[in-house]
Amino acid sequence: MSGELPERDADKALAGEYALGLLSAEAAADFEARLVNEPDLRALYAEWCEDLAALTDRIDPVAPPPRLQGEVEAALFGKPRGRAGWIGALLGGLAVAALVLGLIFGADLLPRGPQAPADPAYVAEVAAEDGSLVVAAAYDAEAGALFVDRRAGAAREGRALELWLIAGENAPVSLGVLPGEAQAALDIPAELRAQLDGGVLAISDEPSGGSPTGAPTGDVLAVGPITNT
Amino acid sequence: MATRDEIETLLAACTLGDKRAFGALYSATSAKLFGICLRVLDNRAEAEEVLHDVYVKIWHNAGRYQANGLSPMTWLITIARNAAVDRLRKRRAPAVSMEQAEARPDPGPGPEAQAVAASEAERLSACFDELDEGHAQAVRGAYLDGETYADLAARFEVPLNTMRTWLRRSLLKLKECLSR
Repeated sequence: MSGELPERDADKALAGEYALGLLSAEAAADFEARLVNEPDLRALYAEWCEDLAALTDRIDPVAPPPRLQGEVEAALFGKPRGRAGWIGALLGGLAVAALVLGLIFGADLLPRGPQAPADPAYVAEVAAEDGSLVVAAAYDAEAGALFVDRRAGAAREGRALELWLIAGENAPVSLGVLPGEAQAALDIPAELRAQLDGGVLAISDEPSGGSPTGAPTGDVLAVGPITNT
Repeated sequence: MATRDEIETLLAACTLGDKRAFGALYSATSAKLFGICLRVLDNRAEAEEVLHDVYVKIWHNAGRYQANGLSPMTWLITIARNAAVDRLRKRRAPAVSMEQAEARPDPGPGPEAQAVAASEAERLSACFDELDEGHAQAVRGAYLDGETYADLAARFEVPLNTMRTWLRRSLLKLKECLSR
């Protein structure tokens, strides 16, 4: 085949075939061996990469699902990192101690009121860095309810504590204002349930009755990742 | 989309183990690369897996970018396209393409980098127009659909050697047009 073409042209075509991935494994290995010692061939190959990459100019960008970045970073760096925006810094500074696994709510400690799920699908400990606010959460997948247990701290006078779900890089979504009682069960809307997996819970300081805007308006007091049991 | 210089700076920071820079690089480029993976694979789950692997590869090989002479987006696009095509071929014919997948490395060192001009796609498109329609489709099919010589020979109903002759001539025509 190459006999039909002048050598330079043959290499040009060969570099193009290599860039397209058309060569057999053997021919590709030969080409790679030549690349090491032949700058001209490297130049031809690089030109093809540039030219062919332009074929992707008309492909519309598509945002990958937000959780993917966390998964990539977990694979590379060993733990999730880098939630978007206002939560990022806080989450980064969270002590490992806050990542309490397998939080158990003993039913015998809860004689009345909402009952902690015996077999929660997800748990989280939403905690302030200094421990001034600690809320344990456990999700009952069957009931679609999040059981919350405020173990330390409370809303300031005339203010409310609002619980937020942050899924990936999405904006925080309110899960509701924490009631005055330490323990409560919050109904999770059906469309949010799937987002609990891998999400983060946060609690912000809001006016009585909750954020008027649908987004956190006050200080973020506590955060905690949701753990799959 | 971040500028060429910004992406280069982020890649350089990645070689120093800067995780924040990696996050920024991901934010700036993942939609483009995911679009490419989706276009090649036409399957969301597979495209997500490939994109995951692509960014792992980018982190581990960022140091090779500086020496390879490609523009930073071309380097990233080439990694994503090759990974997606490898995956596609694995789906089509497991045994053969595994070898090819492993045989093909990331782009090696090259000449002085060339900026990809905004008009690059138009220039390329005009040159494709100079090819016979079937030949243009064959080159596109190889790049974007991962078609092999065997696939192309079957599609155009010609012997494999004829297909290869066609395609090599088309590549040279294309190159000649692009260097005008």
